[in-house]
Order: sequence, then C-alpha cells, then structure tokens
Amino acid sequence: MDIWNMLEYAAWGLSILFGLHMIYDWYKTDSTYSEDVLTSSREGELEAMAEHHKVGS
Amino acid sequence: MSQTTAKSSPKISLLRVLGPAHVWALGVGIVLVGEYMGWNFAVGKGGAYAALIACWAAGLLYTCVAMIDSEVTSTVAAAGGQYAQAKHIIGPLMAFNVGLYLVFAYTMLEAANAITVGFLVDTVAGMSGHSGIDQRPFIVLSIIFLAWLNYRGVLATLTFSLVITAFAFVAIIVLFFGVAPWNVDSPLKHVELLGNQPALPYGWLGVLAAMHFGLWYYLGIEGTTQAAEEVRSPARSLPFGTMAGIITLLIAATLTWYVSTGLMPWEYLGQAGVPLFDAARLSGSTVLMVILGIGTLFSTLASANGCINDASRAWFSMGRDHYLPAWFGAVHPTYRTPYRSIIFLVPIALIFALGAPLDQVITFSIVSGLLGYTFMPLNIILFRRKWPLDTIKRGYVHPFHPLPAIVLLALCGVTYVAVFLGYGTQLVSMVAFYIVVSLWFHFWRYQFVSRGKQFTMPWPRPKGY
Amino acid sequence: MAYKPPNQGKIGQVIDVIVLLALTIGTLYIPLWLGLAGAAKTPAPIENPTWETLNQSPVAVERWNALGFADPASANDIITARFDYSFAMGELLIMAVVVIGYFFLIIRLSGKEYHEVIAEKFGSQK
Repeated sequence: MDIWNMLEYAAWGLSILFGLHMIYDWYKTDSTYSEDVLTSSREGELEAMAEHHKVGS
Repeated sequence: MSQTTAKSSPKISLLRVLGPAHVWALGVGIVLVGEYMGWNFAVGKGGAYAALIACWAAGLLYTCVAMIDSEVTSTVAAAGGQYAQAKHIIGPLMAFNVGLYLVFAYTMLEAANAITVGFLVDTVAGMSGHSGIDQRPFIVLSIIFLAWLNYRGVLATLTFSLVITAFAFVAIIVLFFGVAPWNVDSPLKHVELLGNQPALPYGWLGVLAAMHFGLWYYLGIEGTTQAAEEVRSPARSLPFGTMAGIITLLIAATLTWYVSTGLMPWEYLGQAGVPLFDAARLSGSTVLMVILGIGTLFSTLASANGCINDASRAWFSMGRDHYLPAWFGAVHPTYRTPYRSIIFLVPIALIFALGAPLDQVITFSIVSGLLGYTFMPLNIILFRRKWPLDTIKRGYVHPFHPLPAIVLLALCGVTYVAVFLGYGTQLVSMVAFYIVVSLWFHFWRYQFVSRGKQFTMPWPRPKGY
Repeated sequence: MAYKPPNQGKIGQVIDVIVLLALTIGTLYIPLWLGLAGAAKTPAPIENPTWETLNQSPVAVERWNALGFADPASANDIITARFDYSFAMGELLIMAVVVIGYFFLIIRLSGKEYHEVIAEKFGSQK
C-alpha cells in the first residue's frame, strides 16, 4: 500500500464526508423553514431596487 | 459568511456580493481549462495551422458573442442569464430551450473537467512509478467538493475561482517566458517540426473541421451573465468582466498554440490528453513541469467550479418561473445559494463523468453551447427591433449592429458543418432531443407557468405588440 | 383575464423531473449503444516503419523520444491516424433541415406564447 493507494481512500472518504454534510444541511434546512419562505425569491425584484431604467422616449 | 445585508422581510433572495474581478474569474475560470486540454483536438482534426486559423475564427465568433451578450445583459440582469433574456425577448419556449442549453453545456463541461482531473492524477502517478491507479475517487471528489463549496456561498466559491484561475493564467505566461522564444537555444523548433510536412494535412476541409474544437478555446465565457443577481452593479461589471475575459483568452489561446506547436510533433499534439503539461515536460525544466501540472489541476477545478455555479443558476431560474418543478426555485436561507439545484445536478454530472467517453461528453457540451450561440444573433436583432435604443436605457451598447449578429450567425453555420464532419449522428440526435423536450414543454409543462408574471423587467410594451 | 396556472403536486413534479432525465440520458447513450457515435481516427500503420518513412525530422524524433516513444513502431499508429471526412451531400442536407426546422419550430411556438405574455402583462390593446 503506497501513497497513491492511501490517496485513493482519502479521496473516497472526503467525497463521502462532503456529500453527507450537504445532505444533512439540506435536510435540516428543509425541515426548519417553510416551503413558502424557501421559494420566495422572484426574478426582477432586486433589479427594481438596484437599477433604474428610463421608461419613455 | 457574514449576512450583513440580510433583510428582516421573510423573502429570501440571492446575495449581491460580487465585483468585476469575480465576473472575470467566473468567465475565464470556466474557459481557461480549454487551453490546458481539448483545444489540441483541433490540431488532430486539421493540422497545426488549421488549429491556429480555427483559434482566431472562434475568437471572432466569441468577440461577437461577448459584444451582443454584454448589451443584452447590461439590461436584463437576472440569474438565468441568457434564459431570462430569451424569456423577455423571444418567448417562453425559446427560453426553456436556452435554459437547457446552459444546464447541459455546463454540466457536461463539468463532467469533462472531472474526467481530466482523473487523467492528470493517473499521469502523475504513472510518472512516479505507480500504474493502474483508480481514477474514480478523484473524479467523484472534485465534483462533490466543488458542489459543497458552491452550496456554502457564492462569494467564497468565486474568490476560490479567482485565485486558482489567476494562477493557471500566470502559469501559461510563465511557460512562454520559460521557453524564451527570442533566444537562439530556445527549445521551440517550429521550422524543424512543421517545415517538412504539408501545412494543411487535410486541406481546407480540415480547417473547417477544426472549428469544432476551436470553440473549446473559449467555450463558456458567456457564463458571466449567470452572476447577474449576485453582482453589485451588473450594468457595469458584466460588460467589463466579459470583455476583459475575452482579451485574456485571446492572449492565452495564441500563446498556448505557439508554445505547444513549437515543442511537439503535431501528430502527438492532436491526441494529447494534457498538452500544456506535456509541453512543460518537453521544455526540460522541472520547475515549469510542476507549475504547469498545478496549473492544469487548478484550471480544471476553476472550470468545474464555475460550471456548477452557472448550471445551478440556470436550473434554479427555470424552477423559480415553474418552467421546471417549483421545488428547484428554493434559496438557502443562510448561504443564499440555489442549494436544491446544486445538489440535484451532482448525480447527473457524476453519471456522465464516470460513464461516458470524454469526446462524447465534450461534443454534448459543444453542441449545446453552439445552439446557444445561434440563439444570440436572433435575440439581439429582435431586442433592437422590439426596444430600439431610445426606449430603454442600456448599460452598454455594442457597435456596428447588425454586423456582429450576421458574422456570428455565419460562423455558427460553419461550426455546424464542422461538428457534422465526424459527429453528425450526435448532432442530429441532440437536436432531436431538443425538439422532443420542446414539444413536451409547449403542450404539457407550460400550463404551470403564469403568463404575465414571468415578464419581470420594468420595460415598456415592445414595439409591434 | 389573467391565466391562473394549476398548482403541481409533489408526485407530478417528480414525474416531470424523471421524464427530463430519461430523455437526457437517452440522448447521450442511445448513439453509443447503437455504435453510431464517435469519429475515431483510423490508424494506417506502415510496414517496417522508420522515422524517415514516417516523415519525422531529427528534432521531431528527439521529441518523440522525450515523450516516451523510443522506437518508430510505438509511434506508428499515432502518426498515421487520419480522420475520414468523406460524407454524402444528402446527410449534410438532412442535418441542415433538422437544425433550421428546429429553430423555425421554436420561434413559431415561442411567438405564440409571447403574444399571450405581452397581452397579460400590458393589457390587450389593438
């Protein structure tokens, strides 16, 4: 078992760790907040504040 | 990450935290990997000079793309990028198609990057005397780690991209100065390597065919627009970041071609997996080899990172408008990222990275990109017609309209033929795919979409409606 | 009168995602299964190759060696591999019709939907 074999196992291990962490956080978030809050983002709402388009000619 | 700008209202949106440098990093980061791998298949398809012609022709194509895109984006600043543009300018079905082009072009590019990481690890392991390494854990790790980074917030993600992209770009410049072309004993031997061969081994047809992978020098630069809802002042930052990106890439692409063709026989270059790393090996300098090895790794990671960012923004935007199930339109309350879209795209990237051959994955990505570029000229022509220059304020107005649109359309036509030479079946099968999903969308999915609400820009009524 | 879209339930959402996924994966893998994919270069190795008959200059030979190809035979396949660009005009026409037809279809249907969007957003006039 040389360094490359160890790296292979390390890569598998880290993948599982990062993956599980994401799934855990996803589960926690979905069960803490209501669906309405999570999907409340709307396109264009930021623009109304940040940009001013001149309307009219 | 601090959440100083969080509002007390229950609405959750993406965060405006990025500056022009991040836009540059997003655009160039996705693309720069093209100089480290993939572009050289153009050498295989048409010979060394054909690849250079393709490099510049594709550079012209992308300059048009950047100009057109900058104008529309400086006005339509929304996370879906070209998807939101299409929705406002051409119509919902076009938007659905454009959204899918984006998702597939980026997800396939991400898969291609992960495959390259595996290949690079294999090469380095082989050089250190360990053969038969299992590439899969490295492929999986790169995809999952970058998804995790994206999940945790856009500022950290793109700052990471900025650092590794800058390194990869500097590495190409260092290689150029390292081989010192102005020196008599420079290892670059263009005359000896290319002199006794026919300049165009396939004739002009080869030049045409080379355009297929010529796109690979720049593919993905248009992704800068996906950051529109997260950039602090999109009307200025997006055009600036995109244009700076194109200039960076033109320089990097030409240097890459020059150094690589001067170092190795074109027959080898045309099929090399990691050509710049090979070039560094041939330069005879260990320092250069290490720098370019790290550069290759960084460029693939930066690219995959940007791809996850862009693909998830496009998928999220479509979910938000109910073009796709509404469930995907969610934003993480703490990290402010489209977290469900990020997670959903991970297994898809893995399926393609682990299960399909590299050239197929790349072709899938290129064809989706190409369909997107074909949409752009139609988009800008209709944009100028429906909203002439005096009706809405644009952050940037591109010059010489409609010349760039016409040039872009013509170059797209050429590239379809180039892809057809060798990959005709895939081209037709992909277009068939888009026809089927279009019918599915028009006759089934579109019932879930609000008609008037999806038009979100504060624009006047378009001319002629 | 504004159009009120129906609410889609969880199961409907899942089915829609599965349909899209199946189509996507099908598109990539069907050409592979049918063996229609890939424009592999075909090597045309020559008999008893030497660097000279492979048309490699001394500098090129030195580079091949540095890349790990010690003798001409090992590089024979790579050097002689060529694409086959012969094609039938008919196939090219089919491709052109499919691509142009596709964009035509999209623009037509989009235009129809777009009229509705504008009418609802700005109110119908004319």
